[in-house]
Amino acid sequence: MMKRTLLALAAVTMLSQGAFAAKIGVTMDKFDDNFLTVLRNGMTDYAKKHKIDLQVLDAKDDLGTQISQVQNFIANKVDAIIVNAVDTSATPKMTALAVAAHIPLVYVNRKPADKVLPAGVAYVGSDEKQSGTMETQAMCKLMGGKGNIVVIEGELSNEAAVTRTKDIHNVLATKACSGMHILREQSANWDRTKANDLMTNWISAGVKPDAVISNNDEMAIGAIQALTTAGMTKVKVAGIDGTQDGLAQMKAGRLQVSVFQNAAAQGAGAITTALKLIAKKKVPSMVWVPFELITPANMAKYMAKN
Amino acid sequence: MSADNTPAPAVPAKARVRRLPPEFNILVVLIGMALMFEALGWIFEGQSFLFNILRLRIMILQVSVIGIIAIGVTQVIITSGIDLSSGSIVGATAMVAASLAQSSDYTHAIYPHLTNLPAFVPIIAGIIVGGLGGMINGGLIAWTGIPPFIATLGTYVSIRGFAKWYTRGNPVSFLTPQFNYIGSGIVPVFIFLICAAIFHVVLGYTRYGKFTYAIGANRQAARVSGIDIKRHLLLVYTIAGLLSGLAGIVTAARAQSGQSGMGVGYELQAIAAAVIGGTSLTGGAGRIWGTVFGTLILGVVTSGFTFLNINDYLQEMVLGGIIVGAVIVDQFRQARRAKA
Repeated sequence: MMKRTLLALAAVTMLSQGAFAAKIGVTMDKFDDNFLTVLRNGMTDYAKKHKIDLQVLDAKDDLGTQISQVQNFIANKVDAIIVNAVDTSATPKMTALAVAAHIPLVYVNRKPADKVLPAGVAYVGSDEKQSGTMETQAMCKLMGGKGNIVVIEGELSNEAAVTRTKDIHNVLATKACSGMHILREQSANWDRTKANDLMTNWISAGVKPDAVISNNDEMAIGAIQALTTAGMTKVKVAGIDGTQDGLAQMKAGRLQVSVFQNAAAQGAGAITTALKLIAKKKVPSMVWVPFELITPANMAKYMAKN
Repeated sequence: MSADNTPAPAVPAKARVRRLPPEFNILVVLIGMALMFEALGWIFEGQSFLFNILRLRIMILQVSVIGIIAIGVTQVIITSGIDLSSGSIVGATAMVAASLAQSSDYTHAIYPHLTNLPAFVPIIAGIIVGGLGGMINGGLIAWTGIPPFIATLGTYVSIRGFAKWYTRGNPVSFLTPQFNYIGSGIVPVFIFLICAAIFHVVLGYTRYGKFTYAIGANRQAARVSGIDIKRHLLLVYTIAGLLSGLAGIVTAARAQSGQSGMGVGYELQAIAAAVIGGTSLTGGAGRIWGTVFGTLILGVVTSGFTFLNINDYLQEMVLGGIIVGAVIVDQFRQARRAKA
């Protein structure tokens, strides 16, 4: 046992930028979310390659479970903790727990609500202000700055959904896109089937948009399915995530815009950041992984990712 | 619908006291709501709510899956049980069915050697998974004697776990057109209505139905009259599982994708549909047509609110009110029945 640990230690020392030990506990918001699964795979792949002892737990979208998991990690004396927060407003509590136990903490993908992250705590993620803005600007350009749109939102209690929707409104308030008007705006809970039903309900109410701007690809696909059924194949559609299913729709000419959030890079980034913190290296408190715009012109590059 | 569906020998008194079948009230509520939206539609939107083929279609289509589940849940509730696992079974079946329905166009199929299979393979596999889930529920309840709430709470968690484990949370997409057909157009509506018709007959005119009502109305009396309660409960929960499995297949085919998060919360919507439709949570009373109307009320409300452009938050709040209102009405009915 001891020997194996020593071997692992040696391996980690060689491979992970001089970090000496790496037993990392990860708590994820949920396991059954497609995007978070890619992120999780990014972490486990990186850990496997670099022989890091990674324990990944599912908080099942429950804040109480997540806090208990963090406390268990602390009790088990892990070297670092990675948290994909269930509810970003509850992060100060977890920050305090980790700081008190002197264990490095990395938040990933969901931006913590802490005003300032103390030393030994960092955030790895993408700036949501970028995603909705990129998406809407690209769509605005395609529409020549004018036309009617509908907006399909994610879960209303989710920060990404709120920010992305706010981004849409902000872009529409700019001069170049002031000719665009929102006919309807409603949530479909990130869900493909719900978006299909919602779009069909809108179509039946006589809503005739020129474009659909969705908070993610899954809902964009739902909207595309409804539009296809109604024979409205000219309507332009934009999503976010660049999932395999989304890219297939883009290949078929039905999805015009998507925005790639590099989930795997966020996952790997969370681990490298944790290793740096363990080694007491200097780390910026916000490590940004940039969003990337996907259009039919550059989509081939993304087919293999996510 | 004129037939009296509760002629179980063990419970003659209850059936006689009631004059109008409760689903008649539900139908009135359903029509009332539709007319209300019709009026509001002309006032605020300047167009008809009901005279719109596309809207009539989506009203039923968007609740078909809930309806299929609710048909099974109604039977479970009639035996004075409950099934919390339906939504998880939907997720598990969607995953298993989708994994056997992948097209060879996709290079990263779950089973690379099992692509382009005829649609009956994933359908049968899905139904087996649903049936097994239901059998576990029924077996636990019948032979360990633990309350249905606890047994199905356990499977609710475990079966969702299975759904996530199956592909480690990864979605299963790029399915064959043949499989996707199940979820296209109004096929889900047909499946829902056919299931409803079948179980209307089964509950109303067969020994299975009589036993189901008898067990829910008075278990002691049912046992004395010679019903094998354990075997029958196993059967009822297995049927509920099969229907949830079917719902999972339809869900995957509609989305053209299997995702382990599918069906979350469906169990509660199905219970709501049954309860709104007049199925009594104390058991012994409830009919399939009531549940169909209950399901349609959920559909009318969803479409109506979107039609009137009412915001999301308000929609949820009102929906909760409708569910509670239905139970309050049910309580009054029972109180009146007890007095009579």
